[in-house]
Amino acid sequence: MTTLRVLTVDDSRTILAMLHHTLSNAGFEVLQAEDGKQGLDVLKTETVDVVITDINMPVMDGIEFIKNVRATGNHQSLPILILTTETSQDKRDQGKAAGGTGWIVKPFDPEKLISVIHRVVH
Amino acid sequence: MSDLDDFKATYFDECSELLTELEEQFAAIEAGERDADRLNAVFRAIHSIKGGAGAFGFSALVGFAHAYETLLDYVRDGRIEMSDDVVALCIRANDIVADHVKAAQTGEALPADYGMDEKERFDALARGDAAAGDDEDGDPLDEFDIEFTPVMVNLDAPEAPAAMAAGEAPVDDAFDSAPMQIEPGHWEVRFTPHRALYARANDPLLLFRELAALGEMHVRAVLEEIPPLSDFEPFAVYCSWEITMISPSLTEAMIREVFEFVEGDCDIAVAQLGSATAGFDIPPAPEPVVAVPKPAINEEPDPADLLALADDEVATLLDFSADANVAPEPQFAPEPEPAPVSVQDSFEEPPALSFAELAETIQPSPVAKPPTPVAAAAAPVRVAPPAAPSEGEESGGNRSVGVQSIRVDLDKVDRVVNMVGELVITQSMLTQQMDETLRARYTELVRGLEVLAQTTRGLQDSVMAIRAQPVKSVFSRMPRLVRELATKTGKKIKLETIGENTEIDKTVIEQLSDPLTHMIRNSADHGIESPETRTGRGKSETGTIRLSAEQAGGNILIIVEDDGGGINRERVLQVARDKGVVAPDVNPTDEQIDQLIFAPGFSTASEVSDISGRGVGMDVVLSNIKKIGGSVHVRSWTGKGTRMTLRLPLTLAVLDVMLVKVGESPYVVPLSSIVETIQCSRASFERVPSGGQVLQVRGEYVQVIDLAQRFEMVTETDPENRFVVLCEAEGSAKVALIVDDIIGQQQVVIKSLEENFERVDGIAGGTILGDGNVALIVDVQGLKTTIVHKNAA
Repeated sequence: MTTLRVLTVDDSRTILAMLHHTLSNAGFEVLQAEDGKQGLDVLKTETVDVVITDINMPVMDGIEFIKNVRATGNHQSLPILILTTETSQDKRDQGKAAGGTGWIVKPFDPEKLISVIHRVVH
Repeated sequence: MSDLDDFKATYFDECSELLTELEEQFAAIEAGERDADRLNAVFRAIHSIKGGAGAFGFSALVGFAHAYETLLDYVRDGRIEMSDDVVALCIRANDIVADHVKAAQTGEALPADYGMDEKERFDALARGDAAAGDDEDGDPLDEFDIEFTPVMVNLDAPEAPAAMAAGEAPVDDAFDSAPMQIEPGHWEVRFTPHRALYARANDPLLLFRELAALGEMHVRAVLEEIPPLSDFEPFAVYCSWEITMISPSLTEAMIREVFEFVEGDCDIAVAQLGSATAGFDIPPAPEPVVAVPKPAINEEPDPADLLALADDEVATLLDFSADANVAPEPQFAPEPEPAPVSVQDSFEEPPALSFAELAETIQPSPVAKPPTPVAAAAAPVRVAPPAAPSEGEESGGNRSVGVQSIRVDLDKVDRVVNMVGELVITQSMLTQQMDETLRARYTELVRGLEVLAQTTRGLQDSVMAIRAQPVKSVFSRMPRLVRELATKTGKKIKLETIGENTEIDKTVIEQLSDPLTHMIRNSADHGIESPETRTGRGKSETGTIRLSAEQAGGNILIIVEDDGGGINRERVLQVARDKGVVAPDVNPTDEQIDQLIFAPGFSTASEVSDISGRGVGMDVVLSNIKKIGGSVHVRSWTGKGTRMTLRLPLTLAVLDVMLVKVGESPYVVPLSSIVETIQCSRASFERVPSGGQVLQVRGEYVQVIDLAQRFEMVTETDPENRFVVLCEAEGSAKVALIVDDIIGQQQVVIKSLEENFERVDGIAGGTILGDGNVALIVDVQGLKTTIVHKNAA
């Protein structure tokens, strides 16, 4: 099986680092971006199997990012997981309405993170 | 747990950046810029601090940050007005957050009630508002303890028990606490995805895969609704599934959890077989259903087929078609509907009919027109799993990872800087070894050396650029300082900053904060007058401190300027004489008096208020700046103001110098300060009454410093054969250095004398030459200013 590539988008370096650690230990290849705009730029040149994105970000927030990804021709079936501490339903719903596939609640448990990814990726 | 420590280090780094950002934002907010962007940035900063704190279990920080964040959220959506009071409270809150971060970093405990008052005020504000605006959640700030459960991430043992956020019961736990339907049995699930499910990149196959992990599973794809190809709407959803699950411990909750992400994007009915709720009219037996719907595809549409459907199925179908009409998808080539059928991959039961088979069935069909766009668009799906990115793109677009910046440990960069430094030395050594005969003989080698020199230079510039950062990070701390100073002194002070994007070496920036703070304090405390005095002098009531940064040649100039009263020279000289810094018989010039405020041992501490450095003199500024290879110069205009100029090296490591000889020893003079060199035999020296010498250069009299004399070296060079190196010190003042010989020009790597030996007046540092000898770097500015103290001693 080929290595799965994950794009992680978060303005917090701490979160990016923890995601990177957890995901690369689990055998994923990890790409990083610090806001939605950077994330879109990465997707222009890179092919990934799944995206994990924060909601609250500068420049372009997660909701806009997801909308933009979905509006791009070949990303309709790219799974996008929303990474959020917002336990309140509304952010999650907004993310889903924008085209988010699922969500991960921060602080995340490594095992849970991996299992959620496998839930949305072949 | 070293990984965790690394993350913590990253987190604390990040916190300090975020706290700086908060300062910046609040400086603007306080100045009246209360737009949404700023509030959002503030909210994000606190949110990020909280997020990381949660990951590491810093619960006190999480608690406070959460309360603060909630307040900010209210402010952001307008429920609470951003009044001056609220701003002040927020600024205080930033400090508390900073203290919490620091406490978490050092491991020391803050008092349990630390920040409680502020937290209660957040609470009160939020409550007050909730009462006024009859909000649904009466006391939002009480929620946080429950809502935000810190989870320690055990990175070394990913198989550690899963700690879940509230509401997401892990599957294993659910086994233990299976409620209600304990009856071992069969479950029937009818799953009818909507188009939205696919639009969000969910995939039935994955759901089935997850279901299959829960127990024995049988799936029947309901394909009867698939219309003939002529009516086939590529983005419509025609397929649904009937699933039978057999597992003794299975609960409805477990099944529903699998469908958590697709809730609302599908119709899902779960019923226990044999129970009263089981209402499917499909055969209950978990028989694998093999061949299902061949007719639906390649036959004429038969209205009877539709009518034969159960009512709920019709409803679902209507749903689909309604859905499909809402927003016609833009035409995209590679991947349309991931549609039903990849089911075959995952289950051992023979699937209903694979898409590949379907495709085959379609091809020869008399009805189907093979090259229809529908077929063309749909065909690839059957080959490539929908979620997998198209292969063509993978190979075509596989360039470097599209991340625009990477974070590198400073140690690593420094290692490169050091090695580049050594490379520079080696390169200059090689060049030195080339005498004329060698040059003539080995032209290729000479050319190679020239290229090497050029490349080394480029490499050096690039490495230095990596270390460069805008001075903004230091400047941004100053507005708050000025505000505080203004409040404490009762003066009106405005801060202007210019050139904050000027870039400078990271280490220099780190060393810059203290000196700048000192200088600004000094300006606010001693420079700017009280409003009354200012009005009396015909100035505007508000004093201005201007902080600017600019690049000038190989240096960065940081200038702190105020429009205050200027330096009280009489008083400064008096204090200097009292303290023995200046001998009673010496009469320094105005400019020299101004520099005295930086002299070691000179401190007006007796009189200095608690604001200006708490008894620590400005000499600290000088020593800090010298440490990073810079110099300070002050100029004052009585009644009009004072200007302090920091001249800092662009890079810390490498300097262009002129190599000279003083006595028998090599010295180097920074090239950036040299104006010209003159043979002594051609220079016109004049004696001055005090016993010193001056040099007349184009009508200007320049102070002469004989380096041999100054550094107490013995020289046997004929005075006529010596050289004058005319240098420019701060404020365009010139100084003429007498040296015994001029050797040449080269680059050197600066080594700190203070770190390796001790501070020496008149010497800015040391360096190792290409031939392995040590040379000292002449501190031009230091020589010129210390001459006063020298005389005094």
